[in-house]
Amino acid sequence: MARAASLRPRVPWFVSFLLMRLAWALLTLFIFLTVVFFFMQVWVPYSWATQFLQGGQSAFEGAREAAGLDRPLMERYADFMLGLAGGDLGTSFSGAPVAESLTEALPVTLTVFIAGSVIGWVVGEQLGRLGSWSRWRITGSAISVIGVFSATVFPPFLVFFLVSWFRQPLLDARAAMGLPVDSLELWRGMFTGEAGALTPGDVRWLIALGLSAALAVGLVVRSYGRRHQLPLVEGLALPAMLAGVGVGIWLAGLGQHALDLLYRVDMGATTGRGTPALALFGIVLISFGQVMLLMRVGMEAERSEDYVLTARAKGLTERAVRDRHVARNVMAPVLAGSFLTFPTVLAGMIIVEYELQMQGLSSVLFYAIEFQDIPVIMGVMVVLGLMGVGFRLVTDVTIAALDPRQRRGRA
Amino acid sequence: MSAITGPAVTAGPLARPADRTVLSNPKILAGLGILAFFALLTVAQPLLEATLWEGRANIYDPRFGFDTTIGHPSAPSATHWLGTSSLGRDVFSMLAHATRPTLLVALAAGSSIAAVSLVFGSIAAHRKGWVDGFVSHLSDAMVLLPAMVAVFILGISRPDDEFGTLHVGLTFGVLYGLGPATATVRAAAMTVVAKPFMDAARVAGGGGPWIVTRHVLPHLYSHAAVQAMIGATGAVIADAFLSFRSAVGEDYGFGHMVYDGIVWASLMAGIAPTPWWIMMAGAGGITLLAASFYLLGVGLREALDPRVSRDR
Repeated sequence: MARAASLRPRVPWFVSFLLMRLAWALLTLFIFLTVVFFFMQVWVPYSWATQFLQGGQSAFEGAREAAGLDRPLMERYADFMLGLAGGDLGTSFSGAPVAESLTEALPVTLTVFIAGSVIGWVVGEQLGRLGSWSRWRITGSAISVIGVFSATVFPPFLVFFLVSWFRQPLLDARAAMGLPVDSLELWRGMFTGEAGALTPGDVRWLIALGLSAALAVGLVVRSYGRRHQLPLVEGLALPAMLAGVGVGIWLAGLGQHALDLLYRVDMGATTGRGTPALALFGIVLISFGQVMLLMRVGMEAERSEDYVLTARAKGLTERAVRDRHVARNVMAPVLAGSFLTFPTVLAGMIIVEYELQMQGLSSVLFYAIEFQDIPVIMGVMVVLGLMGVGFRLVTDVTIAALDPRQRRGRA
Repeated sequence: MSAITGPAVTAGPLARPADRTVLSNPKILAGLGILAFFALLTVAQPLLEATLWEGRANIYDPRFGFDTTIGHPSAPSATHWLGTSSLGRDVFSMLAHATRPTLLVALAAGSSIAAVSLVFGSIAAHRKGWVDGFVSHLSDAMVLLPAMVAVFILGISRPDDEFGTLHVGLTFGVLYGLGPATATVRAAAMTVVAKPFMDAARVAGGGGPWIVTRHVLPHLYSHAAVQAMIGATGAVIADAFLSFRSAVGEDYGFGHMVYDGIVWASLMAGIAPTPWWIMMAGAGGITLLAASFYLLGVGLREALDPRVSRDR
């Protein structure tokens, strides 16, 4: 058996694993898109054309024809899927390509959603881990109450709270950091069409690249430190690398621009209440609770296992038992479980973003719902599906990295 | 899982002691307590009108009530326990009247989630093969479709008689039920059909329907109940957001109360104090009701997990 295995060419586990998962993702996406198409075409009883009903039968028929709604269902389905395969999201009822309004809205939304849910997950995981190991009963109750509150808070109310408490401090902080009151000042070059002017997109990409590079290098250095028993290197690797990105951005003269991305007062400075920093905070607040509860229950279930007793008997510190032994066993199932909360959390995020009046995906979605612009709604659903599949892939890869038993692809 | 207690506890039909752990779980008790409070609230209004507020029913009407003796919105007082809204309606009456439709949404969503997930989960696990492949892929895809967003697409800017409370609950329930709920219940069902007693049932000559109803489903009720409760949380919030988003004058949902408070606060910023009591009543109603279902779901999940409950 061992001999046979050694003769076979060695493929690293993650190559075959990733291929399997990608195939799964494509199939899931296909089913999702089919469901979305039929939901939108069959279940949703209105269409752009019903708005013209008042104009009489001929106006109604004309609008139907112009929107292509008179063709048979299957033909439209084939068109939709083939268009998507070619990267075409269709044309909005207003005449503009759907992809255009989406690409405009996506950078803000993606930054805030991804950063918010990752931070929320980490915060929830850490709090759940600490809370389950606390000596005091009150900590457990507090964690339950806060976690349930976070999972059930009414997002518009939360946003009102955040705005009324934090808007002025944020504006003050902006002034204290030497940023102009109006974001337009900072990005003026972009609007006047100056050659080589910075756009928010450039800065965002730069930050994202810098952060992922720092994360990768930091993780490698950390595992090096752990292997060679250098606690200082192990502990400082990640914070130092992440701080390095911040210093690097500042030294490159982009500090103000980067800060403005976080603290920007939306382009229409008088009406916009939202800054990405507030949205980020709100998303963290609504997403950390469920993870925290899952983590705590998982830790508590694991705590009376025999290996915990063994680890304690060896004389390990409580902290080592908690972090090195118990938490690692719990993390994979918690990750899998928290993926199932994805739809609820995502919907909460959309409400938060919308209530903060940010020019993101949710404003596109709600505007489209208001005007019954079905192609745009479908475009937003496609984006949501892609985000979900992306999240799922990241979750699966992380689980596989944590737990070798999960590396065989899907059982 | 430790070798000694694990299989012995989880195998076989639901052990009796679970009933005791269910009722000693603090989360379940808290959830039941909050639900009981809201149930009381729904019957409080007619009782109060008959006794304490006798003859003054017109100022306590949740829709058209107006107290001409004071300015509005007014802070909580002896006459108006939770104050009045910007239109002069009694907030306590609005709260009491908004509870019933919200409970209806939660009930519709919860029961449809349980029904959908039980049907699909048990059939997938029993038939296996392509049926299971279809169900598991479908539920994987449906997890990506947020039921709340689907409810917004269907419900925003449509009148209540076209898309009312029952529609919200059922739409949410079916979509959530096909997604996360079916995924969870199917996973639980797969472990049930792998148990030795299934072979015994088959050897005993049981047909498909008999095996599914007598031997598979009873083990899934608790999992479906957990999903139904947690899903009902989302349905309550979705319904509240619809009422918040399409708030028309005479509506009195929880969401409408929050909307009323926020609009007044932003119109009168710096002129009049923020009417916290309206917002707090609405948001508190939403969060408490949603939390009661969430607590029941989470508590049930804990109580039924033998590894957690055995420590208590």
